[in-house]
Amino acid sequence: MAVSSWRMDVPGLDGKCGQASRAAADLALGQDALLTNAEVTQANFPLPAVQNLDHFGKKVEDLVKPDHGTTTLGFIFKNGVIIAVDSRASQGSYVSSQTVKKVIEINPYLLGTMAGGAADCAFWQRNLGMQCRMFELKNKKRITVCAASKMLANTMYSYKGMGLSMGSMVAGWDPSGPAIYYVDSDGQRTKGTIFSVGSGSLYAYGVLDQGYKWDMDIETAVELGQRAIYHAQFRDAVSGGTCSVYHITQSGWVKLRGNNHYDLHYQYYPDGHATSANSVI
Amino acid sequence: MFMTRNEYDRGVNCFSPEGRIFQVEYAIEAIKLGTTAIGIRTSEGVVLAVEKRLTSTLLIPSSVEKIMEIDDHLGCATSGLTSDARTLVEHARVECQNHRFTYNEAFPVESCTQSICDLSLKFGEDGDEDAGGMSRPFGVALLMAGWDTVEGPRLYHTDPSGTYIKCEAKAIGSAAEVAQSTLKEKYKPDMTFKEAEKLAVETLKQVMEEKITSTNVDIASVKPTFRLYPVEEVEEIIKELTS
Amino acid sequence: MSRWSPYDLNGGTCIAIGGEGYCIVAASTRLSTGFSILTADKSMILEVNDKCLIASAGFDGDRSQLHKVLTFRSENYEHFHKKPMSCPAMAQMLGNTLYYKRFFPYYTFNLCAGLDDQGRGCVYTYDAIGSHERVGYSCQGSGKDLVQPVLDNQLKAPSILELPPKVAVTSLSQAEAIETVKIAFSAASERDIYTGDAVEIFILTPEHGVQKEILPLRRD
Repeated sequence: MAVSSWRMDVPGLDGKCGQASRAAADLALGQDALLTNAEVTQANFPLPAVQNLDHFGKKVEDLVKPDHGTTTLGFIFKNGVIIAVDSRASQGSYVSSQTVKKVIEINPYLLGTMAGGAADCAFWQRNLGMQCRMFELKNKKRITVCAASKMLANTMYSYKGMGLSMGSMVAGWDPSGPAIYYVDSDGQRTKGTIFSVGSGSLYAYGVLDQGYKWDMDIETAVELGQRAIYHAQFRDAVSGGTCSVYHITQSGWVKLRGNNHYDLHYQYYPDGHATSANSVI
Repeated sequence: MFMTRNEYDRGVNCFSPEGRIFQVEYAIEAIKLGTTAIGIRTSEGVVLAVEKRLTSTLLIPSSVEKIMEIDDHLGCATSGLTSDARTLVEHARVECQNHRFTYNEAFPVESCTQSICDLSLKFGEDGDEDAGGMSRPFGVALLMAGWDTVEGPRLYHTDPSGTYIKCEAKAIGSAAEVAQSTLKEKYKPDMTFKEAEKLAVETLKQVMEEKITSTNVDIASVKPTFRLYPVEEVEEIIKELTS
Repeated sequence: MSRWSPYDLNGGTCIAIGGEGYCIVAASTRLSTGFSILTADKSMILEVNDKCLIASAGFDGDRSQLHKVLTFRSENYEHFHKKPMSCPAMAQMLGNTLYYKRFFPYYTFNLCAGLDDQGRGCVYTYDAIGSHERVGYSCQGSGKDLVQPVLDNQLKAPSILELPPKVAVTSLSQAEAIETVKIAFSAASERDIYTGDAVEIFILTPEHGVQKEILPLRRD
């Protein structure tokens, strides 16, 4: 099939020193409609010579235990967007890190969050960052949240069924105002105002829905995000570590909070366990 | 100049008996038809200034692009066939993004220049066009202005033969010779950025056929990030020049 | 009937600690399969240049292939860009290299450690498919479960996530850090069958480049 014309249109695919990343970026725009997934993938990501790829993939996952587990949330309110995340990664029951950075700073106006496989999220969102930058250079204006999330969703769709694991929110501010899109590794993409993603999301939703009001001031909104993450870390074993809170406005994002769960606990419950949710009477 | 013109000036993959590849030399000639572009390097940063030949008042000046951003730390001024320049700049942008993606650092200015020159050399090659190669040499010269993390400001000049040279100050385009001798005379290694900015615009003014205005020149700086000056700022610099 | 697998687990432990003005990378030298010891003298560390080292635990076959690929890319980089690859650059490249094998991973658990542009120690820790982060210290391999909690207790590098941002280096002095590494390895060799024989300790400083020391461990 003729693929010559889109080479130059797709970022990250030209030149000598970036041949591997070129391959990845080739796929990233999902322009492989002319080719089957298998062909494209084999060309770029080497596959094992096995009959049942899915079975092999699952076995390898058990073996290498890539980093997993998360609570992330995001919501839009009167004064912008709040993104809050935990920072724990686990490999099975082993806590492999308490300091994972789950907010990926795509550019000064766009944030991505990370839930599911850490490597899948980090790699493809950096790839998205590259595509957004190319868009900016070509069109001399920033990409919209809508377009950026669509590019990520297209990438994910082109790998559907191959075992990627990602549940992400793409959040930012563009000329049309604040926006959050939920994108996952099945290729789903939804616009919304309140999202929580990850194993601890149910706990976070509980706090978030209870406290959410459209016309909150910034301080209340930041506090709500932090509290929702705190409670998810408290109840969900694979969420924990630090709670980071970001605020996005017209002038871009700022990180407003970064607090250890331990400190938060004694801030919310100063007299230890006596008044906490799991105290024994 | 080309007294020995004969069969050998047709093919791009054929030396003449005197050891010349005429098509490459003709491509270099094409730049002499292009608009003038000037680049000056100082320890504070690099300045680029170009003339925009506006052939009609119905043209929208901002749509004539002679200075292009390649990455945050890298930009270039072009002279010659603008469409060829766009192909090279697109290639350079992709290379910069690839390097950032792979190594999480800015693409060194010399490496970027090198990769443009690699593409410039890929003319007349067989095979699919995916490689980005062309059937003829690119008819464009670039002034690459950039900032390296360690070495600081850099200025390179590339031409259609795929040669690149590191420069302190360089002029390309139709008035290159006159402008270059002015630069040679007035360039000082310890120049401030402001002085270099003035020298670049002054030199441009001297060689331009039309009267210099804020719409028929573009100015950009890399110190340490690329920035194309808005019209008001260009206006101010020109005003300072005449006062 | 046992199924053939493209992977084996050859054991071994590695530790890296980054401090202000130094970096320490250490790895045991025992190579085992199942309950048998294949050799007592196998290095798991790749010296990329005098600013960057890579220690990989896991499967020896994948490790040697990975080290070969990284050596190739680092030399290529040096020729093309006329400078050695910095540790942060190598860290990103290693992450991508691992991810490109997402569907048939290198069964290796890596540490990329060295000195950054400011001469500070930097340590990057990875999972098998390229997820990575910069930390003050880390441990990988068969003795990870034993050693990492001890390091957490003794070293306490600040988290990069808390505000205001701090650099993730441990506050320990170089001598204290080396001592901690030695204690950690001799302790791990008592309780982990795959850690033993000897430990290679590399010390990177801006002043003295790479220095190497070997500490014998239990040989049983």
